[in-house]
Amino acid sequence: MIERHLLKLRARASVSAEEEQAIRDAVKEVRTYPADHVIIRAHERLTFSTLLLDGLMCRYKDLSEGQRQITELHVSGDFADLHSFTLKRLDHNIMTLSPCTVALVPHEHLARITERHPHLTRLYWFTTNMDAAIHREWELSLGRRTAISRIAALFCEMQLRLGVVGLAEADGYNLPLTQTDLAECVGLTPIHVNRTLKELREQELVRFKGSRVTILNWEGLAAIGEFDPSYLYLEPIPL
Amino acid sequence: MAHFYLHIRNGSGYVEDLEGQELPDLAAARVQAVEGVRSVLSEEARHGELDLRGSIEIADGDGNILLVLPFKDAVHLRLDGTGM
Repeated sequence: MIERHLLKLRARASVSAEEEQAIRDAVKEVRTYPADHVIIRAHERLTFSTLLLDGLMCRYKDLSEGQRQITELHVSGDFADLHSFTLKRLDHNIMTLSPCTVALVPHEHLARITERHPHLTRLYWFTTNMDAAIHREWELSLGRRTAISRIAALFCEMQLRLGVVGLAEADGYNLPLTQTDLAECVGLTPIHVNRTLKELREQELVRFKGSRVTILNWEGLAAIGEFDPSYLYLEPIPL
Repeated sequence: MAHFYLHIRNGSGYVEDLEGQELPDLAAARVQAVEGVRSVLSEEARHGELDLRGSIEIADGDGNILLVLPFKDAVHLRLDGTGM
């Protein structure tokens, strides 16, 4: 059930059998949601955190006329709102982009982990810092990268993040995003995304069709996206 | 709600919208088209070259073209220098 989560953690640090059991014991309930369902609304009082077991989710904020900015994508194994353990409410919304299975972890159970498992606590601290690193990279994209570079960088990021949890093959992965979702990730419009995807296809870098990302030329895609994976902290971390 | 497809036709060819979007009506689809054109043009302006010769074709699920929006109708251009 939490196997993908363990893969994500163990890519960076060891997780002992005891710590693994503590995570399993912390889960109170497993829920499933359909696609396009807002599971957490900004500013509602939260008493549990959401661990994404299976599916694709996003964090987003929006403006008064409904213009939505997706600020991060979450893949299977991500503790999507570990943030709420200390924040108690989120300043953004969390929505499913595909059918999702999540585990609810009450904050009191997380408090127990912090009291009894200092190493695992540091590992969870690391994962929230990693979310911040991903946000900074997206900020760079939204503020400075060109349209083609934004999409290229995002496709590179997802290849590596999904790879960590065993959901990417060498030549690509499933990404159940509509062109509107993708536009909301990269701050463009669906028309602009469509045109940019054509450019990426014509340059034989990547193809995105029917929820499948097919990497045609990894080096070329990473070059056009100025993608440097160091912000994903894929190396073992001494915690 | 209805499904609309927003295809792009311009100097670099034809970009078919295979996926489409669920929108309330044709007016909403036109708003999407206008915003899309402006987004594409803003990127072109960033690279120093604006090509206003294209258009967006708004089609329904059966492939009927309901509306054609020339790129130039998505922006107001002032080129005559008045007020400079």
